Amino acid sequence: MKRDENVEGAFRIDGLNLHYGATHALKDVSVEIARNRVTALIGPSGCGKSTFLRTLNRMNDLIPNCRVEGSVYYRENDIYAPGTDVIDLRRRIGMVFQKPNPFPMSVFDNVAYGPRCQGIKDKKTLEDIVMRALRDAALYDEVKDRLRESALSLSGGQQQRLCIARAIAMSPDVILMDEPTSALDPIATAKIEELIVGLRKDYTIVIVTHNMQQAARISDFTAFFLSGELVEYDATDTIFSHPSNPKTEGYITGRFG
Amino acid sequence: MTDRTLLSKMKDTAGGRRSDRIAKTVFLSAALLSASFVFLIAGIVLIRGALPFLTDNDGLGSVDLLRFLTADVWLVGATFASNLYGVGYLILSTLFIAFLSLSVSFPIGVLTALFIAKVAPKPLAKVLRTVVETLASIPSIVFGLFGAGVILKLVYDFSMSIGYQSKGGNSILATALVLALMTIPTITSISEVAIRSVDKALEHGSLALGASKTQTHFKVVLAAAKSGIFTSAILGIGRALGEATAVSLVAGGRRSGVSFDLLDTTATLTTMMLEGLKETTGLDYDIRFSVGLVLLVVILITNLTLNAIKRKVGSVHVKA
Amino acid sequence: MSRRSARKVRDFILNAVTYLSSTVSLAALIAILAFVFGKGSSLLNFDLVVENFESQGFVADFHAGFETCDCVAGIDLPEGSYYSEKWGIALSDSTDLLGKTVVEVDYVHPDSPFAYLHDKGVGTEPIPLRADYDVIRIAFDSYATALSRYGAEAMIASLDANDSIREIEFETKGGGIRGSILTTLVLIGLTLLFALPIGVGAAIYLNEYAAVGRFSKLLRSFIETLTGVPSIIYGLMGLAVFVPLTVKLTGATGGNLLSGAMTLAVILLPVIIRTTEESLKVVPDDFRSASLALGASKTQTTFQVVLPSALPGIMTGVLLAIGRIVGESAALVFAIGTTIKDDVSLTGKSTSLAVHIWAMMTDEPANVELSATIAIIIVVIVVFLNIMIKLITNRYIRKRLGVGA
Repeated sequence: MKRDENVEGAFRIDGLNLHYGATHALKDVSVEIARNRVTALIGPSGCGKSTFLRTLNRMNDLIPNCRVEGSVYYRENDIYAPGTDVIDLRRRIGMVFQKPNPFPMSVFDNVAYGPRCQGIKDKKTLEDIVMRALRDAALYDEVKDRLRESALSLSGGQQQRLCIARAIAMSPDVILMDEPTSALDPIATAKIEELIVGLRKDYTIVIVTHNMQQAARISDFTAFFLSGELVEYDATDTIFSHPSNPKTEGYITGRFG
Repeated sequence: MTDRTLLSKMKDTAGGRRSDRIAKTVFLSAALLSASFVFLIAGIVLIRGALPFLTDNDGLGSVDLLRFLTADVWLVGATFASNLYGVGYLILSTLFIAFLSLSVSFPIGVLTALFIAKVAPKPLAKVLRTVVETLASIPSIVFGLFGAGVILKLVYDFSMSIGYQSKGGNSILATALVLALMTIPTITSISEVAIRSVDKALEHGSLALGASKTQTHFKVVLAAAKSGIFTSAILGIGRALGEATAVSLVAGGRRSGVSFDLLDTTATLTTMMLEGLKETTGLDYDIRFSVGLVLLVVILITNLTLNAIKRKVGSVHVKA
Repeated sequence: MSRRSARKVRDFILNAVTYLSSTVSLAALIAILAFVFGKGSSLLNFDLVVENFESQGFVADFHAGFETCDCVAGIDLPEGSYYSEKWGIALSDSTDLLGKTVVEVDYVHPDSPFAYLHDKGVGTEPIPLRADYDVIRIAFDSYATALSRYGAEAMIASLDANDSIREIEFETKGGGIRGSILTTLVLIGLTLLFALPIGVGAAIYLNEYAAVGRFSKLLRSFIETLTGVPSIIYGLMGLAVFVPLTVKLTGATGGNLLSGAMTLAVILLPVIIRTTEESLKVVPDDFRSASLALGASKTQTTFQVVLPSALPGIMTGVLLAIGRIVGESAALVFAIGTTIKDDVSLTGKSTSLAVHIWAMMTDEPANVELSATIAIIIVVIVVFLNIMIKLITNRYIRKRLGVGA
């Protein structure tokens, strides 16, 4: 594990092993994720990068027959320790999925959903939260006249930014993104990449991407996964210019994957 | 050539072979016959039902349509000596009881569907699903028998305990309860399908935001299944409006006056149609077709209205 | 954090309500089954199924030259049975199938003069007094008539005190459901006879012959609309169309089994068409093309290849139909009538099991016990049919997956 800058860790993963039934999906992964930086997870299909992402907010719990060994430390606590409040954890760690999944409600209600679930009822407070989230997600100007319309009437790119706004409305520390632009066109992709870079100052971002150019463009650190193992983790510049591991080099130069 | 093209070619040249032509005609007639029954039924009810309003009814005079639709009394005067029939109060009672029973069966049915689809562990869900299916296959006469044997007694005891003398338990309450029991399986099975077809991505999205499972179920899953759930309610109401023998065993055969008092006896369009079936001719007999016509119209209007509401509800967003 | 606990409380309440609602269905099913079986099982016996509903009454006396027999009872008599050795007859107090208290014959000795009675009314035909008959009264010459009201013991005592009788009035058992069971079976057969050819034929047309387009869509929608019509309306149609039709064509004088079966057939058409269409759709097109490629005509293909493959699905439709026939009440009340009969004929009235319940429950007084007994039979039949349907669809699905994979 090498770090170019002296940044505090948001996550410290130690000896993480994950099994789906008989499949050993993550093999002894240990890494630290830097705070307030963008960390990209790259690797060929099926290498375990999405699985690893989901261990950070315990969304793997929803998959039957999933067994986790090892520790994931977030804020000094192992989130896999028994008795962990998973709901609270997911409030602090937000997630954006590959395919935009807005709820069948209005734009406003989508963004206000999380806060309302927390018990916030005051109209003014909710409005403030929604406005701020939509602005931070660079969506406000496009939807400010359509707040009460169904979220499903937005374009794909707008829906994805809505999902980002929805996550931001919870004021999380971390935002996990699972291939957020793979279902979008290039223009929408560019907008979201711009958004991600801007969010960096307030949030820790971990993004799974199969697009190496994207990783090179927007991330500070990159982790390369292969067959469930973390092969190499370093500053993005280093990974893409002179990687230490020949396998990393093979993937980056397109020899496989 | 793919099989499909081969088949469609075959469909066209089926006319070539004589046996095929005969067979096609036979099957076509069967299909046409089947499709024609809906018109036969509509036509019969319409014509026979309209007769009392249009003919002299053997000297009794034609029945006044407006009075028929708005009157508060089933029959003013003696049978076979009067044309003063009225179903106004029956229309109101029928609708009231149907929606009353829905107010019981809808929440119970939808929550049971949610339980089976999302909350219950797999083996329990299977058992409960079988229970609901079995309940759905029990014929209505058995529900009526159960109502007459058990529910009437319960309602009677209940009414006595609060100091109200009910007529042997025959009441709006008993009728609504029996209808509710009969419609819960319909609502549960259709809602369950709707709930299960909600995209898992929506559920995951909600959970990832830190909502609890229960919050996810009620705020997202049920909202996303809105359309199918509403359909189940429409079908449930349809069944409640058309139920005859079960209702007649617990209603009380009220001959006049609308009542919204739960412990009062009542009657519906269908129960009135069943009574007096001993006669074989005359106005008292023919008038049942008119009542049947009114029933069909009521069901049609209710269906159209609820479907219109469903389309509106589908486009309006639900508050989280 | 109070917000967290507020949410926990709300979640708990919602969960509790959800669990509670789910118990309603279970409780309802248990309650209905408990009621039906509890109330009805006491009357459930073989006699019920084979006995007539109507009891027949006789007034009879002994043939000339009879002798009192001094017979010892040939069998062990049940508790509460009073036996007269003089006459060789055992009587006891009992209730009939309709709940009335009666004096029932438990045993008649083969040598008893009661085994050779003559019908006083009609001529010289001998009518034996049999066990299970109900004695209404025994009249004597110059002695008080023994009435069933006074009970079995008194009747035996009166007999023992006399050497001859003037006449005896008795009744065969009644309250049986033989007629209704027969009616139900006949209805099932007739209805399927009418509905299957038309329904399967229509389904074949829609799935095998009709081009996909507005016409077939229109036909299908007309057929589907039938499912939303309440069964009492079908009854009206039966009354207005099928009853006059059958009256004209046969010698019937009003509602009859034929008109009832026709009405039921119309009710069942959508079910049969739908299940048949589903099972036809599932037959792989490969079968059809293979048959046609061998030079078979479309008709041959349909009957020899497609239909046999679709048979399990059609069976399911038949089972569903049978379940519906057994349970149908409102339509038959109009299309046939509510007269409970023992002699069942195609052109006569009688009741199916479900209508039998209706007739008894709307009678004064309502006979809940016997209705519950009949309900047991209906429920058992329906549950059995459901299980059969499940078995067929499971085996069918498994077979299909094997074929498809």
